[in-house]
Amino acid sequence: MSVIVIAIASESGVPIFSRKRGNNENIQFSTIASLHGINMFSKCHNLSMVDTHVDSGTIIWKEYCKSVTLIGIATGGLECDLELLLSCVHDVMVFSVGKKELENIKNIDQLKRDLRQCYPILDYLLESLDPNVVSSPFPTLVLDLIQSILCPQAQQLQQALDIYAENVTGRWACLAIHGHLVATSSDFTELDPREARLMLLLAAAQDGAPLRDTPVYLPQMSPDVAFRAVTCKLLADVYVIVICGATPPLSQIDEIVLQCWESYAQIIKEAKLVYPRNFPMSITFESSVLGILLININKRRCVFSRHLHTLNQKSRSISGAHRMDILRTFYVTTARDLAPELKVKVHKSEEAGGSTVQDQEDCICETYWTSEYHKCHGQRSGNMLCCVLYASTVHIHTMRMITNQILQELNTNKEIYW
Amino acid sequence: MLHLYAQAVEGVINSSSVPEWDSDVGDDGELVYIKIKYNNNAIEDTNTPLLENCETFKLRNNFKRSSTRRSTKGRIFKVLKVHKAKNADNSGKKKPVPQSDSSKKLEDDKSIVIQVSKNMIFNSEKNCQIEKLFGLSLATHPNGKILVVEDFLIEAYAIYTPRIKKGYYLQKVNGIEVNPYNINNVLQRIAEDPYNPKLTFETPKDVVTVDLFKLLTSKDIDNSIIQLLRDSMCSVLYICCNDVEYHNNDDKGVLYCYPRPYNQNFLYNTRGAYVTLCHLAPKSLGTSEPTTSTVLHNEKLINVTYTSHYNDLLLIAFPNKQLDLFAARRVTIDVVRMLEFLYGSLKSCFTKPNNVDKLDGMFCRMFGVLLFSDSNRDVAGNIDISTSRIEDLLGAHAVTLPLDIRVQVDDAITELEAADYREWTDDVENFQRLYTVIGSCLYYSEHLLSSHLQDEDLKEINAFLKLNGVLKLSVDKELEKLVVWKEVFINEHRKFNNSDDNDSRIPDGRWFLLVVGKGHFILATLMEAGGCTEDAVGATPPSPFYVEECESCLALLYEVGLDKYLSLWFSANTQPQLETSPEYLTKYGRKMRDVNSLKSDTALKSSTLKLSKQTLGDVKKRHNSSEQINVASNSSDTNASNYGSHHNLYAQWYNGSQKQYRHSSNLDISYSEDSNSLKSNSEISDDRVQGRRADREQKNRRESSGSDSDWDRQEVNRMGSSIDMSDIRKSLLNEIDRVTTHRITAGDDNVLFHFVQFESAKGILIAPVKNIDIQANNALYSYIIKTFRTACKRIHDLLQHSIRFKANQTSTNPLNKILIAVKEYGMLFQAPVQLLNQCGVNKKNSETFQFWVVGRVFSEPEPKELYLCYHESIPQDLTEVAYLLSYLE
Repeated sequence: MSVIVIAIASESGVPIFSRKRGNNENIQFSTIASLHGINMFSKCHNLSMVDTHVDSGTIIWKEYCKSVTLIGIATGGLECDLELLLSCVHDVMVFSVGKKELENIKNIDQLKRDLRQCYPILDYLLESLDPNVVSSPFPTLVLDLIQSILCPQAQQLQQALDIYAENVTGRWACLAIHGHLVATSSDFTELDPREARLMLLLAAAQDGAPLRDTPVYLPQMSPDVAFRAVTCKLLADVYVIVICGATPPLSQIDEIVLQCWESYAQIIKEAKLVYPRNFPMSITFESSVLGILLININKRRCVFSRHLHTLNQKSRSISGAHRMDILRTFYVTTARDLAPELKVKVHKSEEAGGSTVQDQEDCICETYWTSEYHKCHGQRSGNMLCCVLYASTVHIHTMRMITNQILQELNTNKEIYW
Repeated sequence: MLHLYAQAVEGVINSSSVPEWDSDVGDDGELVYIKIKYNNNAIEDTNTPLLENCETFKLRNNFKRSSTRRSTKGRIFKVLKVHKAKNADNSGKKKPVPQSDSSKKLEDDKSIVIQVSKNMIFNSEKNCQIEKLFGLSLATHPNGKILVVEDFLIEAYAIYTPRIKKGYYLQKVNGIEVNPYNINNVLQRIAEDPYNPKLTFETPKDVVTVDLFKLLTSKDIDNSIIQLLRDSMCSVLYICCNDVEYHNNDDKGVLYCYPRPYNQNFLYNTRGAYVTLCHLAPKSLGTSEPTTSTVLHNEKLINVTYTSHYNDLLLIAFPNKQLDLFAARRVTIDVVRMLEFLYGSLKSCFTKPNNVDKLDGMFCRMFGVLLFSDSNRDVAGNIDISTSRIEDLLGAHAVTLPLDIRVQVDDAITELEAADYREWTDDVENFQRLYTVIGSCLYYSEHLLSSHLQDEDLKEINAFLKLNGVLKLSVDKELEKLVVWKEVFINEHRKFNNSDDNDSRIPDGRWFLLVVGKGHFILATLMEAGGCTEDAVGATPPSPFYVEECESCLALLYEVGLDKYLSLWFSANTQPQLETSPEYLTKYGRKMRDVNSLKSDTALKSSTLKLSKQTLGDVKKRHNSSEQINVASNSSDTNASNYGSHHNLYAQWYNGSQKQYRHSSNLDISYSEDSNSLKSNSEISDDRVQGRRADREQKNRRESSGSDSDWDRQEVNRMGSSIDMSDIRKSLLNEIDRVTTHRITAGDDNVLFHFVQFESAKGILIAPVKNIDIQANNALYSYIIKTFRTACKRIHDLLQHSIRFKANQTSTNPLNKILIAVKEYGMLFQAPVQLLNQCGVNKKNSETFQFWVVGRVFSEPEPKELYLCYHESIPQDLTEVAYLLSYLE
């Protein structure tokens, strides 16, 4: 597989950056120019290229803010929503330099330099699409969802986060373990899920620094005015991220962190144990269940788990990373149909015919795959969407029954706190 | 010599000298001759449909199977035809019915409200509720979804005219939207309601219809159609990209562009983008050449498909609204197939001198058939995207006829193909034959009945017939006579030319396609000149003799009553039987059915009806799945080990009654290995006479081209054809009385709504008849079918990963590792509540209605895809279904 993202200044045609992942060669300057030329030419003729398919791949152009054109090229059987990827890339760009800067580019070299800081985040995004590195420590397996851990301690941690946020004069704070969202402050839901994911990506990209602040622009909430994102490493692989104003200074925050979090060390350690199972131990799964992807549609959060059974881990034939990839692919190609609200709306301007198709998708309530080596089943119940990976020996009706049970349990279990 | 021969043969066969199509033969020898039968009876029918229509309304609402059954009499077809004819009449007399001559104030508001006094009771001879209440008679629109004003009673004439005219749509009654499904209920309410009913009418939109008949026959194309194509962004462009021609050509390498003028063609104007992309992608991006682009132009989404031929590029654009990406891809494949078939290669197609007019005509027909044919329209006159049906797109749509019928059909075609020379002339030694028949295929109303062609030839001929609207025409109109003659370049020959492989058996000759039609039949025959026949030199017009041979083949089919049988069979819904009244599968519906079946058993005389009715009626209990599995585990061993038992089963199948069949189906619920059952299945089918296998036999025949064997075979054929004609006829007519129904799903209730089985290698798909949803005349069923068709496209796309992987292990383009393993994909849909309410299912109980759409690919022995749509209540194993279906095949 390979994926390439190129950013070009629409007017001048100057390439801003190009990031790639996979085994393809670097894109040459002349190629970038030609690609941009195609877009410019068709624009002159009042025509816009929505997307272009090649054998097992796609090429798309997308212009943002009328100033930056992003070109995405995905090949080699990579199943991803390229349009979504480009809009994520654009979000990352806004996140680090602000919308104003992107809208009217004054000094393109300056912009290029400024955007260099978001390369790590972009690379994480691209890397997460690569099935070969699903096991990377900071995954964003599914572009449109925030990967989370469900732990019984979330509620207590929320209190701590609320206090912490208040002390640093911020509102939105969250706790991440191994790059997964564990707990949030009460106001955190005000943030757009995409902004929340950016915060996690930021923490991931700044791996290692114990305490750091970065100016960030929230693409939805405040694309023009920068906030301060403070990331703080509490324990190994445990970060707390808060978005706050210019004060208090970093040195003071250091003290506040100590105050607020010292007493929670034990709870955090307990919460950490939930990883990599990602579900509270009180929830058990049938032995035929090889992996699970649970999605909270409203909150755009998801929980992946492949370590469902503590015993006989090694006897499984499908490797863990592969299981994640199967579930991911199942979700991206198939199960997303169960939650039409997750789809990015495109071409809403025209196409009356398209609306009927949408209506029909609303009515899908279950979907499954049978492959030579495994089966996947996806079912939706209200706000929850559950994709389960089964051994190939499980029958379809058994599969439906088990998924249904899982959904019921997850909906009723007291230890689950999103 | 050639001429002499033709005349001599004519002399023998037919004393009349010149055939009626003779003057239509073009300079190049090609011919398109069509004469349509105007059925007088049908027009008489239009004048008296009142009673019948009323009755059908009533029946529909009581969930009666009989409404669909009644149509066993082939009435659906007739009614459709009648409406078509009528519409044509209307447009002929006073052109656009609406708007133009109606008063101006109506123009901004298209709906007209008329109040009818409650006190008026019109006396209706037909005792029809609508006539009594409103004094007007209604008919169903061909799409089965709206009510059209058909006539006014004399007393009521003054109330409606001049505001309402015949052909207007009845939209609402007292503000309630009415359609053929609910009109009866609404009328019931009106009758009880003391107030004066208010009727809201809608003027039908002035829709442009493309007259296929005209397009096929006339040489120059109407400008309005070209404008229509231009407006809807249909376009074809062929660009030669090598440098020499690019600079020599006035139009910078553009060899063909349609519709013209060039500067108004958006594809021409923006060709730079596509050409650049086509060069850039493989060279600089390391991907394959682009296959499709979706572009937005003038607020319209357009799908542009790329086909490259060496350095050249063929671009075709379709509006996304009518043809989605899926359809655009398949159609493009078909277009390329057709062009190569007709011209040998894309290059020669677009560089052949004086060919522009022909190409224009062809593309105009193609877009006309795809985008503007009547059957695709919904109420508002918009073309419904989901009706670009998967059955039409994937391949030739075949139906599973009963075995003995198939034998008859094959026999007739074989006789034609055998071209028994001695029957034609006494002087065998002096006349060399003109053509060898390579193979032929027979269609009835757009459905493939039989094909004796090689797979690739069938695909190409099917594409040709479909895209040129010949098949569509055979559905819409009853043909008096159709003769199409074209020189073609068969696939084998093209491959041979490309490969330089010298030990090919193909003679260096010429090939011709002869299409002959009559009624709803289309017979396409592929003929070879060269080799053992006389060489064709220069422009070769059709030989009247061979045309008549084909006509006589069709006449033979008429003689045995196949036309009558098929029109019955097509509306009989038997093989396998579908549940076209999905409401019956709900609790409430079941109750209704039981009540109805009691009534109707006594009411209905037809034996076929009774049979199915009883089987449906007497079974209430449903097997639970565990029980079935138990049975299976016992029987599966014997199934797998002993093929003899299969033969028994097979015998039971065809001779046995419904009861036995059901028994066997239960036996078959085995969760055995796929390959096992498939293997056994293919083994059985091999020793049966099958039309489908005939192409293989055809090949064998060619290989063993020893001269005496040829004669031997003729002897056999002659024996075959010497069966007394009257016997066959009798047997066929008997057949009509005992149409046995078959089921392919497990369980006691028939939960099957629809299915499609597609064999990509053969280009043949088997599915229920195309108009099954119109036959069913059921809102819920239409919804299910629509959903099924949309879902199938998605499933098909996903399963292609697996098929492509299996077909070509060493693909240069890496495929998704996970998707290549997927062999079955299912989706569970839920019918919307308001629809259930409308169908009267969901009155008290809040029962949901769920149905599966499942697709599965079988890779052994050859890739086969099966798509199934069934009710959720009984789980189905697709392997089993495929297995049972293979018996019907």
